[in-house]
Amino acid sequence: MLLKDIRDYQILFLSLFLILGIGTRDWTLRPELIVVAIVTCLVTQWLAERATSIAPHLKQNIANLLKRSDNYPHQPNLNLINPQKSTSLRSAAITALSLSLLLRTEHYSTMILAASLAILSKFIFQIHHKHFFNPANFGIIAAITFTKDAWVSPGQWGEDWWYALLFLGTGGMILKRVGRWDTTAAFLGSYALLEAIRNLWLGWTWDVYFHKLMSGSLLLFALFMITDPRSIPNAKISRLLWAASIALLTFILRNYFFLSTAVFWALFALAPLTIILDYLWTAPKFSWSFVKSNLSFSRRQQLTT
Amino acid sequence: MKLFRILITSLITLLAVICFAPTAWAFCGFYVAKADSKLYNKASQVIIARDASNTILTMANDYQGNAKDFALVVPVPVVLQQEQVRVGDPKIIERLDAFSAPRLVEYFDPDPCAVYETEGGVTRGGAVMNAARLRRARDEDNAFGVTVESRFSVGEYDILILSATESNGLQTWLNRNGYKIPAGASQLLQPYIRQNMKFFVAKVNLAEFQKSGYQYLRPLQIAYESPRFMLPIRLGMVNATAEQDLIVYILSPKGQAEVTNYRTVKVPSDAEIPVFVKKEFGDFYKAMFATAYTQEDKKVAFMEYAWDMSNCDPCSAEPLNQEELKQAGVFWLTPARGNNVFITRLHVRYTRDKFPEDLMFQETANRQTFQGRYILRYPFEGDARCEAGQQYKKSLGQRFEQEAQTLAKLTGWNINDIRKKLPVTQNQSQPFWRNIWN
Repeated sequence: MLLKDIRDYQILFLSLFLILGIGTRDWTLRPELIVVAIVTCLVTQWLAERATSIAPHLKQNIANLLKRSDNYPHQPNLNLINPQKSTSLRSAAITALSLSLLLRTEHYSTMILAASLAILSKFIFQIHHKHFFNPANFGIIAAITFTKDAWVSPGQWGEDWWYALLFLGTGGMILKRVGRWDTTAAFLGSYALLEAIRNLWLGWTWDVYFHKLMSGSLLLFALFMITDPRSIPNAKISRLLWAASIALLTFILRNYFFLSTAVFWALFALAPLTIILDYLWTAPKFSWSFVKSNLSFSRRQQLTT
Repeated sequence: MKLFRILITSLITLLAVICFAPTAWAFCGFYVAKADSKLYNKASQVIIARDASNTILTMANDYQGNAKDFALVVPVPVVLQQEQVRVGDPKIIERLDAFSAPRLVEYFDPDPCAVYETEGGVTRGGAVMNAARLRRARDEDNAFGVTVESRFSVGEYDILILSATESNGLQTWLNRNGYKIPAGASQLLQPYIRQNMKFFVAKVNLAEFQKSGYQYLRPLQIAYESPRFMLPIRLGMVNATAEQDLIVYILSPKGQAEVTNYRTVKVPSDAEIPVFVKKEFGDFYKAMFATAYTQEDKKVAFMEYAWDMSNCDPCSAEPLNQEELKQAGVFWLTPARGNNVFITRLHVRYTRDKFPEDLMFQETANRQTFQGRYILRYPFEGDARCEAGQQYKKSLGQRFEQEAQTLAKLTGWNINDIRKKLPVTQNQSQPFWRNIWN
């Protein structure tokens, strides 16, 4: 049962980072806030799923009730009320862990706000049953915008090679299994290229460049956040374009607007682009059950196109 | 695709907007400040008071040489006019230093036999708090692509604001105008020129300096508006190989400040150490800092203090009053905005190889307080004939040993040298071999 789902690996790795973070870096990470994030995400997910699955059936039952006549002795359709089995609690856990890793705050209320809005964004902002905001990213932006006590500490990982390798190795492994490594490559590649051009033009030595790229937070974002297969464009070409635009916007926000949270704003601002890109290039929507059936991504594409 | 077009258009617009940051850089070994810095050979001290994108930067100056040789070149984000520059009071940096410096606190064990004895024998409540004060020419020369944007005098300083189009030109211009620029500087000037930054150049006006009667050069303060929150440290490393110390006092209405492109780490704190350290606190702190610095692979910024300035407990110096805060550059103290000033003291020891990039900062909403604080616990000296007293006396040996080990771990000092300085206890159970082999 355990580790059968790809997301189990993600949960495992994100938890590992959290434990490493608490153990080896003196962050302002607080275990009780992590618990708050996890509980809020799971509860919100469960409630929202129930609400969405019950709502249409409830409506139908009420309608039936109103139409009731002697000819049709009404039997409420109880099957309709039975909520669909919750399949997304894993995703909610991943969102909670991402929030715990990236978002800093002093108060529970802020974390609750971030976590619940993160999950709710999946149910509110969706088109054709596909949500387009990355939930954790949405939560971070919401907390930064709506509260006064939330922040992101981009420098906290340091630039240790060890972390970089750990992220790369484990992230790569996950991505290979999910089949969205192209997004990470496109994002990191374009970002690295843009920074390289700027570095060359400014005339900095290359150690400045490498120091800039060797940020644990950037890799964490590239490997775990923009690769969330449910919210990113479906077709490969649109994913590449999408990731490259996020890289470009990040580059601009970071170097010309001096935003330390540039990556998160870039993803947030360009997330709706997914809809357009999916419209332009249609491809099968990602489904976790596909992965479970152990088909490679390319094979899946062959099957569905 | 329309969205793409909109995107591209907005991106181009964004690119056109250019904004920037302040600095301080040391040329030829002169420059910014001390850190009670008197502990460190060449410590620079900078106060950054910042709210939103408004900044007042104070560059302390402990230049010891002949005033006529003094020169300062600092990249700044915008052209500064005379009213944006002023000379600060050197005392204000000493005040901030004293207020925020890592400190020793002393506690005195109460009489273990006394009637008010509490469990464990020691209460902090009865302790005496005594924070040991831890010592603490409008001749535009277009041939070089250099434009004198403004020129004025403030106090004992003659100030030039330069913009340049070409780094070699700027270097040549500075050299011709009597500023000794180290070789290799032009390469480092280029990135700042390309980012459209201006150069704040200061020299001492000897006549004014003599007239003023000041012994030392006073700090320079500049006020500007820029989204960029950074300190360029690269220029100061142009031909320095040694480690340089920089102490940054960041004053914000919001909360803690941190470095965004390096890790910010708290200095070890709250350790109980042997009481003899009181006499050599300076050496202790230096050794402890050096040990922590090495352990962190020499590439982190250390937080030494973070506190709301409206209170402190214990205070190692009187909190700054409103007038002093204003002198430190705090500009948001109005009845409407309240008296919110949060100070973060960051100590960065940097070298060229570990700190390739300039320091970038951000303010956060984190209002947790922190202080570098080291505890001396004096044992009860009187007679303690009761049973509890005997127990207490017996426990002292172990406690001293524990403190010695903590000290050794923090500083890297030899444990045996430390042990020799410990007070002798009643029944110190030294292994017999230690007497002859150590």
